[in-house]
Amino acid sequence: MEFSEYIKTANVEDVVLRQPLHPPGRGTLCITGHHLLFSDREEGSCQQVLLLLRNIDAIEKSGVCRLSGSSGTITIKCKDLRVLQLDIPGMEECLNIARSIETLSCLDSMSELYPFFYRPSNASLRDQWGLSSLERHYSQMKELHDRWRLSTVNRDFSVCPSYPQAVIVPKSTDDDMLEKVAKFRQGGRFPVLCYYHKKNGMVIMRSSQPLTGANRKRCREDEQLLQAVIDGSDKGYIIDTRSSQQALQARMTGGGLESKSCYSSWKRLQRQMERGKALQESLIKLVEACEDESNNMDRWLSKLENSKWLSHVQTALSTAGLLAECVERDGHSVLVHGSEGTDSTLLISTLAQLIMDPSCRTLEGFLTLLEREWVQAGHPFQQRCAHSAHSHARLQQESPVFLLLLDCVWQLWRQFPLALGFSEALLLRLATEAYASDYGTFLGNNQQERCALGVKENTHCLFQALLRPRERDCYSNPLYEHTELAIWPSVHPQSLQLWRGFFLRWTPQTHHLEEAQEEIRNMVIEWGKLALSSCPAST
Amino acid sequence: MEFAELIKTPRVDGVVLHRPFMPTVEGTLCLTGHHLILSSRQDNTEELWLLHSNIDCIEKRFVGSLGTIIVKCKDLRVIQLDIPGMEECLNIANSIEALSTLDILSLMYPFFYRPMFEVIEDGWKSFLPLDAFKDLETMTDEWRLSEVNKDFIVCPSYPPLVAVPKDIDDDTLRKVASFRHGGRFPVLSYYHKKNGMVMMRSGQPLTGTNGRRCKEDEKLINATLRPGKRGYIIDTRTINVAQQAKARGGGIESEANYPQWRRIHKAVERSNVLQESLIKLVEACNDQSHSMDRWLSKLEASNWQTHVKEILTTACLAAQCIDRGASVLVHGTEGADSTLQVTSLAQIILDPACRTIRGFQSLVEREWLQAGHPFQQRCAQSAYSNSKPRQEAPVFLLFLDCVWQILRQFPCSFEFSESFLVLVFEHSYASQFGTFLGNSTAERAKLSLPEKTVSLWSWVNRPQELERLTNPLYEANSLVIWPSVAPQSLLLWEGVFLRWNRSSKCLDEAYEEMVHIIEYNKELQNKVNSLRRQLAQLETEDPLLQTP
Repeated sequence: MEFSEYIKTANVEDVVLRQPLHPPGRGTLCITGHHLLFSDREEGSCQQVLLLLRNIDAIEKSGVCRLSGSSGTITIKCKDLRVLQLDIPGMEECLNIARSIETLSCLDSMSELYPFFYRPSNASLRDQWGLSSLERHYSQMKELHDRWRLSTVNRDFSVCPSYPQAVIVPKSTDDDMLEKVAKFRQGGRFPVLCYYHKKNGMVIMRSSQPLTGANRKRCREDEQLLQAVIDGSDKGYIIDTRSSQQALQARMTGGGLESKSCYSSWKRLQRQMERGKALQESLIKLVEACEDESNNMDRWLSKLENSKWLSHVQTALSTAGLLAECVERDGHSVLVHGSEGTDSTLLISTLAQLIMDPSCRTLEGFLTLLEREWVQAGHPFQQRCAHSAHSHARLQQESPVFLLLLDCVWQLWRQFPLALGFSEALLLRLATEAYASDYGTFLGNNQQERCALGVKENTHCLFQALLRPRERDCYSNPLYEHTELAIWPSVHPQSLQLWRGFFLRWTPQTHHLEEAQEEIRNMVIEWGKLALSSCPAST
Repeated sequence: MEFAELIKTPRVDGVVLHRPFMPTVEGTLCLTGHHLILSSRQDNTEELWLLHSNIDCIEKRFVGSLGTIIVKCKDLRVIQLDIPGMEECLNIANSIEALSTLDILSLMYPFFYRPMFEVIEDGWKSFLPLDAFKDLETMTDEWRLSEVNKDFIVCPSYPPLVAVPKDIDDDTLRKVASFRHGGRFPVLSYYHKKNGMVMMRSGQPLTGTNGRRCKEDEKLINATLRPGKRGYIIDTRTINVAQQAKARGGGIESEANYPQWRRIHKAVERSNVLQESLIKLVEACNDQSHSMDRWLSKLEASNWQTHVKEILTTACLAAQCIDRGASVLVHGTEGADSTLQVTSLAQIILDPACRTIRGFQSLVEREWLQAGHPFQQRCAQSAYSNSKPRQEAPVFLLFLDCVWQILRQFPCSFEFSESFLVLVFEHSYASQFGTFLGNSTAERAKLSLPEKTVSLWSWVNRPQELERLTNPLYEANSLVIWPSVAPQSLLLWEGVFLRWNRSSKCLDEAYEEMVHIIEYNKELQNKVNSLRRQLAQLETEDPLLQTP
């Protein structure tokens, strides 16, 4: 297929672009296979807007017929919540442009997406892809080697399609056992190690729900695997991210929960977390509230409340807090799962690691954590981030779980401004990239799909790009000071705030705050230069 | 009266103090005429010194012979004292109740307080109307300073000197005063240097049901208009409330009698509603339940944020009129509450000078203290009090909240930091300084406050305090700053309302770090500059060094 088939009108002159935080501009609009390009030709200004078509969530068109000729207006609503408006002279041109955008912004074929065409001059496809791998992670964690091993039972993705090729499991469980356990867990997601707490040797495991079904099937190997996890200590906790009722109902559809009788040394804690469609609807409501222009305080506050978004943030943080408490304060190992084990499970295991483990709180550490716990652990980015809050398309698998994670991390960042080595700008960048990106990092739903597409060979890696010197300056927290302590977030409703930097990003007043932060960052960068330039003098 | 009569038990040992986010302290509790003091005999633990006038209400509980007093303060802090001995506890509680509600002004602490610091500049003399008028004279000669109120007879709540249009004589002013609520005839509140437009404020006109008019009033306010120009009257009441006021003798400026003026009605709430709103808000903030929905609905039900929005919107409107070249008269009913919120906020928006520490003090002096905001009545009780509210209302607190909203939106445009606003809030409710005592200049003069008490500004305007209150990000901004008043842009002022419900340790550390970075940056810049100078000097001295 050729993109040009979809582009009837590639160029329109005399288009007016209105976008937040900028004065309107008049210039030329171009549509290419992956981009919308607007360039301002007026004298004295050189505004250029390059927008990935993939970033477009929805468009609305309206036409006006005037004596001077007809013109059309396209309102573009982006996945990063920006809303742009294009006034295009000529009704036909307008319709052509709209049609091209509609088709090209939601191409189904992954191999045609922009990351496969993006070739920046400052990077080569032969550069290292990704920050780490489980193999490397395991070999670096010497303290694991006594009781844990690296298994490649999933090397051809046949045991669990959504797991990476290597996983860490208790040493005493062999690959045959793992294959049996995989059959007993939804999607083959058998319990694997996700975090080892160096201070007391306790671990966080994650998996999907056990497939006990209505007749309460059991799996000895699964029980043995979990027993091996708590080997030596008296008990462990299972944090199930569903309510008891939801978990019991899941039996009807083949799922289930770990019964007390079969898992006698495990104590199950049910903590209901919102997932899937409900979460997506919450985002839609929140964004609608943020865009409400009625100028009515009561209406805003009740819409904010009705969206339930902040409740979801609160639940996620407090469940993560519970998990960290079990490990750090109680000194017990924990298994986390919900249903599939690819959404809320990852959300709370990631947050718990940020709370407990200082090495996750640096810029590299955080990106490595995201790579391990989200990209490699099989969070289905392609499905979850296909559409954002503005889309009119029928919801399928969309759900802003990753965005919720970033929001929770922002809350941590706000409560502990010194403890995290990265800036709010990084969280904003990640929130944008997860939905539409030049890079291959968030392509596909799991490692298997990425291998099949040759993502590693044919695209560039976002995480590597974010760590280049210039980006590093922009995404580091100038106030960062390493602390070994756990950072326990307050989850009182009064302590949590709307992430204005993201949700109200395109309104002017947030902009001023960014300027103040920018100011500080610049100072720190300036010193860096001063320090460098004064080095030869001092020697 | 002797304080000793009210203190049966001046001292109890073995009292345990619980404070939010601080370790408990055991020590000796002492009551003096003005303070509740708890000191442990260890050297490095902090002592508690609490002004009785800061105590809003207390609750007592008994378990066996151990009594507990919960002290709720006007600065919204809640502390707990465990006192061994039933009788001691009751005595202490009774004393606190009596001492914290003394309403004899001359017995208040400011009359007993002697400064432990060197007064460099007497704050009572820092912002005299005469000096402010001298500044005005450099910009315009259309105004004069009238002494018509020198003995506080024409308007009891006005200062002895007020600025009025040059062509209006004192007899006219007397007539106008009888036509305005509380004698508050229109006076100059702000002169906009850029275009010569002015903002005036007054009380409502006393038209009554039969539409009384006052030619002198019309003449006075018309005298402020440029030929052919129209002005705006911003009435802080809704049209309905304003119409109803006629039945009680009040009213509005009718279009027939004031053809050069356009009236705009806004809905800024009045005192009793505001007090209730504050009580509800503080209750919501102290709610311990973990439900997000409950918090957000309580926040909404308190209506506090709505009040913030309304006041800011009205202030923006006033500022907009002036900025676009029209003069403005602002009033509500008495002209001593919502009127002052609007006029003072409009000045913060328009006038960069008001965004400096000194300028803000001057603004509070001019637009609140001298303009006759009844601080004594409004700040007698805060959010915890169980007694029936009389004249209490957080009018000034709302003003500070609005300033904070603008400060938050323009973090580099204010010379002062949030802590300055919090400090002014605290002192408006309870203070060792005399600044906020009394309801008007007349009352302050009668009490001889300038002679007998220390001004808050004497204390603030010392280098060590100024340093603490300065915004490290400040860069003078000569522009008008338009705050966003969209509900989404307005936040709850955590620094006041959640101050005692959260640990601020991490935030404070981050702030310190930021200050450190900025100071270090300044230091480096100075170093760079002096090195550059040295280099330049060397180059001129030694031509060989000059690069070809």
